[in-house]
Amino acid sequence: MLLIECPWCGERAETEFSYGGEAGITRPADPGALSDAEWADYLFNRSNTRGAHRELWNHAQGCRRWFGVERDTVTYRISGSFRLSGASDNREA
Amino acid sequence: MSELLTRRHGLEFLLAELGGSRMADPGASVTIRGDLGHINLRGRASDAGFLPPVEKLLGQALPIEPNTVSGERHQVFWLGPDEWLIVTPAAGALELAERLRQATSGTHASVNDISGGQIALMLQGAECRELLAKGCALDLHPSVFAAGDCAQSGLARANVLLALMDATPTFMIVVRRSFSDYLCRWLAHAGSDVGIAFRDA
Repeated sequence: MLLIECPWCGERAETEFSYGGEAGITRPADPGALSDAEWADYLFNRSNTRGAHRELWNHAQGCRRWFGVERDTVTYRISGSFRLSGASDNREA
Repeated sequence: MSELLTRRHGLEFLLAELGGSRMADPGASVTIRGDLGHINLRGRASDAGFLPPVEKLLGQALPIEPNTVSGERHQVFWLGPDEWLIVTPAAGALELAERLRQATSGTHASVNDISGGQIALMLQGAECRELLAKGCALDLHPSVFAAGDCAQSGLARANVLLALMDATPTFMIVVRRSFSDYLCRWLAHAGSDVGIAFRDA
């Protein structure tokens, strides 16, 4: 069982979370201008990193917020969690 | 007309089945609080058109610190950085929701009376931490989870809002009504070694 730190709720059991894949993938500003290959690359291709991996998690059973986690894909060691840019903090939502 | 309708929490049949409060000295007891209204409130805490009017109307501060409860006139639970649950006597809930809606009408906010969707169970007794630990991954030790703390988590795989209302200890478990039958049966089973009594509010 992983202990994952939600930026709002603190450390919780892995069962409270759902995984959201690789972090930092930006939707193209103008999808219509892309070739099929570029669109497919955005949709399907991921870095499949060995080692430190920045990924998205959702605190599904808790506060239901999306946030980022940096996890080593070899050792499963989690080095930290981060709020996504533009995400709400306690004073700002 | 509305006076003719009796408020029901839907667990009356279960109370009859689980034997009410006949047990002499139970290690834990569950009180089914079907007499409470639940209002879900969403808005930006940083929004001057949201927080001040809401707090003025409620007559108390919203808990801004994650996973805490503000318990004065109403019980207000932190659910997320922009989401709260207000638990208040059912009789005034509709009116309170309407007044909250009016107070926040000029800004990006939402107020929903969700009383029909969930129910509060009060769990009391010396053994209730051990009982909850059988189905919940949270650390409920008093040094970690103190009075005034709340957390959304899983209890026996059901999504719940768990809050410690006082150090007696009294826990409040808020669960979807569709899970309340299952959760009460799980509590009855999990508490059978220490003795558990069920009663109506």
